[in-house]
Amino acid sequence: MIRYLLKRLFWMVPLLVGISLVSFLIMHLAPGDITNTEASFNPKASEESRQKLRELYNLDKPVIVQYGLWLKRMVKLDFGTSFASHQRPVFWETKDAEGNVIKGMIQEALPITLLINVLSLGLIIFAAVPLGVVSAITQNRPPDRAITLFVFIGFAIPGFWLALMLMYWTGVVNDWLPISGIHSLTHDKMSAWGQMWDTLTHLALPVFISGLSGLAGISLFIRNGMLDVLHQDYITTARAKGLAENTVVYRHALRNAMLPLITILGLAIPGLIGGSVIAESIFAIPGMGKLFYDAVLMRDFPVIMGILTIGSALTLLGNLIADIAYAWADPRVRRGVM
Amino acid sequence: MERPLLLKHLSLRMGILACMVLLVSACGKAPSGNAADFDQSYPPTNGGTLIDATIGEPSGLIPMIAGEAAASAVASNIFNSLLKYDKNLELQGELAKSWSVSPDQKTITFKLKPGLKWADGKPLTSADVLFTWKLVTDDNTRTPYGADYKLVILAETPDATTFRVSYANPYAPALDSWAGLQILPEHLLKGQDINTTAFRFKPVGSHYYKLEEWKPGERISLVRNPNSTQGPPRIDRLVSRFIPDPAAQFLELLADNIDSMTLNPIQYSRIVPSREDLQKKLALYKELGNNYTYLGFNLKHKPFDDIRVRQAINYAIDKQELIDGVLLGLGEPVSSPYKPGTRWTNPDLSPYPYDPNKAIALMKAAGYTGRDKEGYLLRDGKRLSFDILTNQNKQREMSAVLVQRRLKEIGIEARVRVMEWASFIGRFIKTGDFDVVLLGWGLSLDPDQYSIWHSSQQAPGQFNFIGYNNPRVDKLLEQGRLELNPDKRMKIYHEFASILLADSPIVYLYTGYGLPAIHKRVKGIDNPAPPAGIGYNSYDWYIPPPLRRNEISQ
Repeated sequence: MIRYLLKRLFWMVPLLVGISLVSFLIMHLAPGDITNTEASFNPKASEESRQKLRELYNLDKPVIVQYGLWLKRMVKLDFGTSFASHQRPVFWETKDAEGNVIKGMIQEALPITLLINVLSLGLIIFAAVPLGVVSAITQNRPPDRAITLFVFIGFAIPGFWLALMLMYWTGVVNDWLPISGIHSLTHDKMSAWGQMWDTLTHLALPVFISGLSGLAGISLFIRNGMLDVLHQDYITTARAKGLAENTVVYRHALRNAMLPLITILGLAIPGLIGGSVIAESIFAIPGMGKLFYDAVLMRDFPVIMGILTIGSALTLLGNLIADIAYAWADPRVRRGVM
Repeated sequence: MERPLLLKHLSLRMGILACMVLLVSACGKAPSGNAADFDQSYPPTNGGTLIDATIGEPSGLIPMIAGEAAASAVASNIFNSLLKYDKNLELQGELAKSWSVSPDQKTITFKLKPGLKWADGKPLTSADVLFTWKLVTDDNTRTPYGADYKLVILAETPDATTFRVSYANPYAPALDSWAGLQILPEHLLKGQDINTTAFRFKPVGSHYYKLEEWKPGERISLVRNPNSTQGPPRIDRLVSRFIPDPAAQFLELLADNIDSMTLNPIQYSRIVPSREDLQKKLALYKELGNNYTYLGFNLKHKPFDDIRVRQAINYAIDKQELIDGVLLGLGEPVSSPYKPGTRWTNPDLSPYPYDPNKAIALMKAAGYTGRDKEGYLLRDGKRLSFDILTNQNKQREMSAVLVQRRLKEIGIEARVRVMEWASFIGRFIKTGDFDVVLLGWGLSLDPDQYSIWHSSQQAPGQFNFIGYNNPRVDKLLEQGRLELNPDKRMKIYHEFASILLADSPIVYLYTGYGLPAIHKRVKGIDNPAPPAGIGYNSYDWYIPPPLRRNEISQ
């Protein structure tokens, strides 16, 4: 097991280098650089000064040399500083001689995105498992039809439209929830409980919206898994033994039907750090989706590469964790691994 | 028997009452909300908080490095320049009490106002101005704005309130450039690397406000600076919330969570006027636009080198239709690259009228005599057919479609191609690989347009990318840079604008109004807006105590 783990971890290194090289090249395929986007059409910004900036950022060198410079920094886990954001550190905070701390861009965007994604993933699983199970045991009868219809409407409805409608209904027409942002202006003067409540009410709509669209996939997955399992011989056996229907469904069927969910959750780990640009813009949440989108538009290469690197490392790790969890949950797989 | 019943009754009624109170308190969130009459007038008082929303977050608050609009909007409340533009867009002293130009027009001497102070109480002197000039011209400073200041060959400070700069040749845009350079404190920045200093997140300036708190991703709040060099402002605190989505901003405005935002034409002329509750609490303003939209030809490509083709297209486009269709009437046609109604605009010029017959006649004269089966004009058996390139910008996309339709009517085939900005610049503008673009230029306050129209400015990355070349215009642009006398300068630029209009290297389409909506609790705003816009006297705006929000007015 340990050897297997070490082997997998070791192979991640060349894989990561390969991924970063391809990302770096693709990023440079898009025309333009930071000097085209920053002050690009301001007649006061001269071409000479833009050329000077290009040299400062090494953008005048061949792409492969730039990649080498980037890799050299990355070996020391130095993600560099942003072009567009006033030289802010891309990943983690830095401290200057006078003790002023400047926070990293990913460091600031990551927690809120993680929080929203974990909450909405929790919401999805919390809602999808019962929905999927009910759907399966009432297959093709009205409850199943109703649930399928509901989750598909949730999947198909444009998130930004629903978000705006809900913001209008819960924030303008009624005063139930805040409209946008993650804290009230008076947040700092609240008690600890008040602050938590304040944050929760701000997050309610974003979490609901992002959960709603993910519900369809997972609940249908559980429904189909359950249907497969319910037709197996051992379920017939369990029923023949005279076990209660609940025991059959929840003890014998559900546990086996949940196995493939592990893969899905493993694959969802890298997704946890990616936010939705549209949801984050509408709700004014300073998260990862907006950070990445803005970085691409501004051609802010260090930020793009920072997020891609962390994302691909997490994807590889997520796959590994999913494999291990699978081995833990399923004896058949375990024998193959060890 | 009686009592329990009565009690039951009572408790029921109490319950309903409690529910109603809950409901009412839930609805009437604004404490001053429905009861207050926002149209009533009040005497000016100090205090209160103004909350607005911006689309972007500043990347830092050192204006010479963070060039984006979000940064300059906040920084302009924190830092001063030597000069500023007044309500009629004429130059006026800000830190400078006065300034004088030497007889040979090569030296400008600024006299600072006495007793100036930074927000931290330290004196602000000419040494700070010199320090800022050194910073902006330093090769290590990552600024794209150094060019104007590098023309200074000698900068000196004879005493603490005098700052003198000399140029090798007279340079008329110099005064405008000194209105654009915000002065930074030497005592806090000396010896620091301006590109990475923590000062960019906790600036100390000299203007009306100073930074109170910056919550990344959420908001910036500024409070009154007691040492302000320009006297105290009336409103205590300015809060800017970062809300990237304009629709979400509008919802926050409806819910009374922000006091001001810039509307789009639909919100301005359709939504707000149709709702009485909004009319009661929102005041709408109309400002001159800061830029104009144009259709530009690549003059190095055939047939756009032919003035008749360019003029034909100019006559074929109905500018009023664009203003009505794209801006819902909230714009003006332009015929020179300056703000309408200011001194630099030549009052004798007017846009090309919509005249399809004249357009067709001009096309015929240019050799487009045939027509094919679909009705397109032909020259040597070929249609005039091109792409109109523009970037992702709703108004420009809509304009391009209307232009396309009008061109089709006279027999010119145009396709609209919309692109992301960086690709647009990198792939098409810098390489000169385009026929026609639909873009915008700023309506600059200084009339100098050398970098856009002078024939020497055509190298890749420079701004005369359409390749305009007219010796007389070159001459005028050179003269205009050497002449510091405003009246003489005005004549030069009036002639320049009239040649430009006749040559038709671009088709001026329109300039749209800025459309701010501000809650009526904010008083003291000029309406109609002067040429400089409503913001010129924002220090004199006030919020009467009965109209303030409860939650945040302390």
